[in-house]
Amino acid sequence: MFYRQAAIRHTSYDQTKKLYPIPFDKWLVVAVLLVALLAPFMMSGLYLNSYLLPWVIWSTAALSLNLLMGYAGQIHLGYAAVMAIGAYSSVHAMRLGVPFEFALILGGATAMIIGVGFGFTALRVKGLYLAISTLAVQYLVDWVLTHVPAIGGGTQATLQTPTPALLGFEITTDIGRYYLAFGWCALVTIFMLNVKRTGLGRALIAVREKDYAASVLGVNSYYYKLIAFAVSSFFGGVTGAILAFTFFGAVTPEQYSIDISIQILAMVVVGGLGSVLGSFFGAGFILLAPLFLNNMVTGMAEAYDFGVSRSILSHIPLILYGGLIMLFLLFEPLGLAKIYDNIRKYFLVWPFGFSRR
Amino acid sequence: MQSASSLVQTVESTSPNLSDANLTLVQLVARNANQHGAGIAFREKELGLWKEYNWQDYLDNVTCLAAGLESLGFQPGDTLMVMGDNRPKLYWAMIAAGGLRGKAMPVYPDAAPDEVLHFCKLSQLRFVIAEDQEQIDKLLDLREEIGTIEHVIYVKPRGMRSYQVPGLVGYDELIERGRQRLDADAQLRDSIINRSRPEDPAIYLHSSGTTGLPKAIVIQNRRILSGVLSAYEGERFRLHEEIIAYLPMAWVGDFALTVAAAIALRFTVNIPEGQETVLRDMREAAPTFYLAAPRSWDNMLTTMQVRMQESTPIKKWLYDFFMGLALEREKRRFNSEEPTIIQKLLKPIGEIMVYGPIKDNFGLSRVKNAFTGGEAMGEDTFLFYRALGIRLMQLYGQTESSAFTSTHQADEIRLHTVGKPLPGVEVKISESGEILVRSNSVFDGYQGNEKATNETLVDGWLHTGDAGYLEEDGHLVVLGRVSEVVYTATGERYIPNYIENRIKFDPIIKDVAVFGRDRDYLTALVCIDLDSVGNWAEQHGVSYISYADLSQKPEVLEQAQKALEHVNDVLPEALKIKRFANLHKEFDPDDGEITRTRKLRRKVVEERYQPIIDALYGGQLDVTMRAQVTYDTGESGSIERILAIKDLNR
Repeated sequence: MFYRQAAIRHTSYDQTKKLYPIPFDKWLVVAVLLVALLAPFMMSGLYLNSYLLPWVIWSTAALSLNLLMGYAGQIHLGYAAVMAIGAYSSVHAMRLGVPFEFALILGGATAMIIGVGFGFTALRVKGLYLAISTLAVQYLVDWVLTHVPAIGGGTQATLQTPTPALLGFEITTDIGRYYLAFGWCALVTIFMLNVKRTGLGRALIAVREKDYAASVLGVNSYYYKLIAFAVSSFFGGVTGAILAFTFFGAVTPEQYSIDISIQILAMVVVGGLGSVLGSFFGAGFILLAPLFLNNMVTGMAEAYDFGVSRSILSHIPLILYGGLIMLFLLFEPLGLAKIYDNIRKYFLVWPFGFSRR
Repeated sequence: MQSASSLVQTVESTSPNLSDANLTLVQLVARNANQHGAGIAFREKELGLWKEYNWQDYLDNVTCLAAGLESLGFQPGDTLMVMGDNRPKLYWAMIAAGGLRGKAMPVYPDAAPDEVLHFCKLSQLRFVIAEDQEQIDKLLDLREEIGTIEHVIYVKPRGMRSYQVPGLVGYDELIERGRQRLDADAQLRDSIINRSRPEDPAIYLHSSGTTGLPKAIVIQNRRILSGVLSAYEGERFRLHEEIIAYLPMAWVGDFALTVAAAIALRFTVNIPEGQETVLRDMREAAPTFYLAAPRSWDNMLTTMQVRMQESTPIKKWLYDFFMGLALEREKRRFNSEEPTIIQKLLKPIGEIMVYGPIKDNFGLSRVKNAFTGGEAMGEDTFLFYRALGIRLMQLYGQTESSAFTSTHQADEIRLHTVGKPLPGVEVKISESGEILVRSNSVFDGYQGNEKATNETLVDGWLHTGDAGYLEEDGHLVVLGRVSEVVYTATGERYIPNYIENRIKFDPIIKDVAVFGRDRDYLTALVCIDLDSVGNWAEQHGVSYISYADLSQKPEVLEQAQKALEHVNDVLPEALKIKRFANLHKEFDPDDGEITRTRKLRRKVVEERYQPIIDALYGGQLDVTMRAQVTYDTGESGSIERILAIKDLNR
């Protein structure tokens, strides 16, 4: 119905690699982009700061992890720790007088170096073993943050973030912070969309499907696994820093705890492994669903008397939330992105049942 | 020269772009290349990509080819046979031959060897250009029998390397040879372009031969161009149309459109990868002008209906609802009634939900003018496409009149007419009810067949052989072939073709032959459509092993019966079909039962299936059909089939 495909033709092979060959897809992306750009002027500060901003940042985090998990097929249970490394490094760097832009890159670089260090374990172990060894990153980083005052600022300490400044302009407003996060998110999204079309992306996917088969094909799977850890950790580090600078305004170890690692993992899995769009869906769902469910249950409890105690009532949203995740994954194991894809395909072949040939 | 100069005036009066005095195809190509060199002339799909050729490429190829051909000894008056599917290189060869004052003679790529032989003998053939190894092989088998062939040019080199045949030359080599000649002689290019005259032949075609052997027809440059220009004047074409070339090159419609009109009006011609990919490539090409035989429109409709049957319930329901609505509206329109308010209101919604997507799927969404020609079209098919929002119009013409005689105009569509004659075309009805045509685009006589020429061309009037009449407002009504008007034993007059077209609207029926000459009632021989019925059988758990087997399944017979009864409902009592049988095979051009353009050869069918026809009128419940079959290996055997005969209730 919406997807008109007549007169779409290619006169060179380069044209066949277009990201959005169908006009409707292209205009949809443009529309979403416009909404995202105009959003700060259309919604209240509360919604911007507590819904949209975290959604954008966590989507970026999920995207970064998706490069490692979805593209290269390497599980990571300590991703929050990688973000923590980036956040702490850049905060310290700025406090030492490094400009914000370089501090971000420095944070990313530190996260990359440490991330790759742990990534070396991935060369030797797979699956569950890799999961456990990445979990170790989480605990090691947590320990260092709480026990090394030079880094964490001491037990129970909170490090305030300096005011970020881009090209000399200080970013002090909510809108400015939102655009900062949005800009970084856009960069990562563009990277993720395009990496699939490059040799690097194809090599990563080959490694994901079967690393020794990839090796047989001439893809150096050790090398590409390390690349995946490096790039993903760099993105994770910068995203961690962005999170600290734009959302929290401070860094504490609790912000990057094991719970957060699991949440990012859930975003990737619920959204859809290896899907750019899925990262946004996943982050939106994991982040916003509890809020909405909470509001809904509280609202209904006020309107109708359920006759249950307040303590039980507070658990109902959590039960619903867990149930929803399970339902979604039962219904479509490939995640929310696949559900979107199914709906898109339903309209893509409209009014026919399926496509021919 | 009289008519040529008057044509110049016609050209001047239509559009400044057409005012050039060059009046042969090759001169028009040269003018396009000079004035619009970068405009895209051809877009050919190759290995999944659309390769573009502009007018400069067009002219380059034509002049190089012509120079090359001339170096092989191509003389004015020589014939170049063109074998293959639609390919730019073959079209260029046709223009090059015309530039050298010779004739290009395209033949159907699937023409049987004896047909090719017949054509060759008529024309003292010395030159052949063939698309690929398959065509070359066919030709080489015949070469000795033809005897006169000196040079054979192949376009696709695949598989040709080991051929050691005298006179065999590759297209690229010939181009290279021509280019060297052009480089050596600065005057040669202009000389080639300016050599041809308007009264020189543009193309050498054959009539389809529904009755007897095909007759040779040479159409002059001025004839074909004046046909195209009067169609342009009558606003049937616009400048710069996008078209898709998939019609057989040997059909006059293809030459008139893909070559003559494309050159005169600077179309972009899209050429699909192959015959098998036409439907898919059609979507990518999305033509703005589309001419197809009713057969193709029917096929497309069948595909649509089959695919809708396989769709999901909601989509199906929406389709049924909105298509029903649109058909209703279209019917009202033909009865000169205003559409109801609901129909008006729901039309834009239907366009978004159903009509638009279907048109998009089949690459029809950009079509401004769509034509059906070559044969009468079933009313229901016509209505269906009109309901979809495609401005489908009837085109009436024949090879002898360069394809254009009369067409509908956008705002004047009548179901039963073929519209008004084009500007510059005179039409009158003879006393015997035959349609006569006189215009600049009427040909000058059959090649080497004076008797036929004298019968067909009388005092400048072309006797079309079609029965018809003119309505008061000038609309022409074509009833069918004069030779096909048939009377039953009770004296009831009918045209079998008319009834057959109505029956063929049903997707399950591919072909049908209706009998009844000098009989008390009508009967029918039905060929089911394997795609459509096969699909139906699959969904309803009817297992079958072959076409013949499927055709005799009781369930399938019942389906065919329903289709015929549906048509019977609208036929007058005396012309209702009483009995029918499903044939065990499809009508096949290779067996001579239909022509290459899929028109029924009634005589052949009546002779071949005499036992079945006897049984249809004999009251039996089945008939045993024995058929001689010649296998590809050359062996022959016979097949025996028992065909069921069914009575119709309504």
